[in-house]
Amino acid sequence: MSEVILKGLKKVYDNKVTAVHDVNLHIADKEFIVLVGPSGCGKSTTLRMVAGLEEISDGELYIDDRLVNDVAPKDRDIAMVFQNYALYPHKTVYDNLAFALKLRKTPKDVIDKKVREVAEILDITQYLERKPKALSGGQRQRVAIGRAMVRDPKVFLMDEPLSNLDAKLRNQMRAEIIKLRSRINTTFMYVTHDQTEAMTLGDRIVIMKDGYVNQIGTPQEVFNKPVNLFVAGFIGMPVMNFFDNCKLLKEDGKYVAEIRGVKFVLDEFQQKALTQNKVEPCDIIAGIRPQHVTVGQGELTAKIEVSEMMGSEYNIHANCGTDEVVMLIPTVDLETDVSMGKTVNFTTRPKLIQLFDKKTGNNLIWYDAESSEANAPVCKSYDF
Amino acid sequence: MEAVKSTPKASNSGKKNQNGPALENKKLKALRENAPFLVMIFPAVLVVFLFNYMPIYGVLIAFQDFMPGDKIFSPDTIWVGLDNFKRFFSDPQFWPLMKNTFLICIYGFIIGFPLPILVSLMLNALKGKKTAKFLQTIFTAPHFISLVVLVGMLTLFFGRYGLVNNIVEHAGGERYSYFLESSAFRPMYILSSNWQDFGWSAVIYIAALSNVDPQQHEAAILDGATRFQRVIHVDLPAIMPMISVMLIMSIGGLMGVGYEKALLMQTDGNLAVSELISTYVYKRGLTGVPDQAYATAIGLFNSIINVILLVIANTTSKRFSENSLW
Repeated sequence: MSEVILKGLKKVYDNKVTAVHDVNLHIADKEFIVLVGPSGCGKSTTLRMVAGLEEISDGELYIDDRLVNDVAPKDRDIAMVFQNYALYPHKTVYDNLAFALKLRKTPKDVIDKKVREVAEILDITQYLERKPKALSGGQRQRVAIGRAMVRDPKVFLMDEPLSNLDAKLRNQMRAEIIKLRSRINTTFMYVTHDQTEAMTLGDRIVIMKDGYVNQIGTPQEVFNKPVNLFVAGFIGMPVMNFFDNCKLLKEDGKYVAEIRGVKFVLDEFQQKALTQNKVEPCDIIAGIRPQHVTVGQGELTAKIEVSEMMGSEYNIHANCGTDEVVMLIPTVDLETDVSMGKTVNFTTRPKLIQLFDKKTGNNLIWYDAESSEANAPVCKSYDF
Repeated sequence: MEAVKSTPKASNSGKKNQNGPALENKKLKALRENAPFLVMIFPAVLVVFLFNYMPIYGVLIAFQDFMPGDKIFSPDTIWVGLDNFKRFFSDPQFWPLMKNTFLICIYGFIIGFPLPILVSLMLNALKGKKTAKFLQTIFTAPHFISLVVLVGMLTLFFGRYGLVNNIVEHAGGERYSYFLESSAFRPMYILSSNWQDFGWSAVIYIAALSNVDPQQHEAAILDGATRFQRVIHVDLPAIMPMISVMLIMSIGGLMGVGYEKALLMQTDGNLAVSELISTYVYKRGLTGVPDQAYATAIGLFNSIINVILLVIANTTSKRFSENSLW
């Protein structure tokens, strides 16, 4: 068992700047949780509070049901991988891996066995006698991961471990981390600003902004059921298209979304959810993912500004009135001319339209007031 | 066949001819690109040449029977070879001078070399950065006191009627003439020098420590290292290249102790231990009846010892560590 529970965790610096506001998070045993958000959102600070590298200003932190607010980092049974590896440059790879065990006065034969086991798993046995400067970025990152692994920690913390690597190596190391996770099977807390890493690695994702948690959910949930405009815009590549000045209407007892004068009768699920939430007709911002746009049909029109042929799909940037629309259109069976300068019709399925309250920015269907007030926002669940 | 053979030859020579001007063009281009920097560095090079290299020719008088007023190069110059050096080696002062200079330098080195390292490590390990800055300022300030003032302070503290003796007398003891006692000279000289310079010397290490990646400390904290272990495993290795360089330079200048402070502290009572090579050179070369050729020979001998020490230190450092001056 290695649960991590954050109860109202708060970080206020000496200059009165609040970096993290009341974070509530329950990380289950062996869960891989990813904290994601833009720079300065408080994700690293939260991780550092868990590590014990930052003092907790308020709230409680439990690791395995033990309150660890005032427990020294070394006694929390955690290990951390840093962004720039933080290897000891004067020590060999072997000594880097063995250092924590030596400090714990572990018998030499045990240290040797563990170091070699970990080196074998990470495929760095041949570099054990080298110093970090003689290794590539990827190899250094493996050593950094190995240094954490030898300690068999209850919780594995990773602070943007792949940001210093180039794109190709990052993809490779991401796959390595996925494999590693299945081998060591422990609780992971992973910080990144890269949503691809977050989506591919995390069992659940915590999306943060300005020190607040905006949504906690599985990759599917945060992609398909964003609770507010920020989450909707942050998750997904290319980013979601937002249509301002839209309306949610009620016609013949049915909810209708009006986008650029075109009416979309919402699907049954949306009707029920909006009815349950007692949503009155109002001004909305409509969100449509670029992947959910279909061209050559519908009444919405846009003039293509840029059309990029990506092989399996077209990446199109078009102007729809005052809004810029990005469309990802599969090339298979594409009959519409999507070359630059053309004006095309486009549409989407009503059930794929996200409806955000223009005043609050909250999703009219997925925003859950109760969990948000408890500072652990998740998407609303429905019985139907 | 001949035609075939001649073709590559012709092309090769053609290449050579092409390479020549190309290389020259490249050099000219580099010169043109670097011209502003060369112009900027010129005054510094000129100053170094005029004041550091030009006077070196003066060492020639060590090999002459030179009297003040003589020209170094003239038809009347009397070349005496190594006679001045032989005179110094057979001088009854030779061994006392060597011993005094060596001891004052080696004691000074043993205390003075590690002290700034320890101070910088301690200041760096302090949690309160304001306290560290304050202490650093306090430690650095004595460096700016002139030697005359420093020796004046020593007199005020340790003179026969100074503060220390006043306290001793109040406590029922007897006054003691520290400046007249040979046994007190070296401790006073070395400790006051170190007091004056340890803070200043620590600055270079503090600067090197500021480059240590804070994440290395955090990693060590998570690994379970105590504050002391972090100093040993993170800080000390980080400044080791700097320590090596400073060690080489210190050993290189080991016998190069200055004459000013020793002269200021010198009394008839402590002359047996306060007469150093540098003070002797000063006295023989510039006071009484000046014997500049002899003084230059002694100075040159001292410099040669320093060069030998520098080469030994650098070679040793190169062999046993990755750091060296060249």
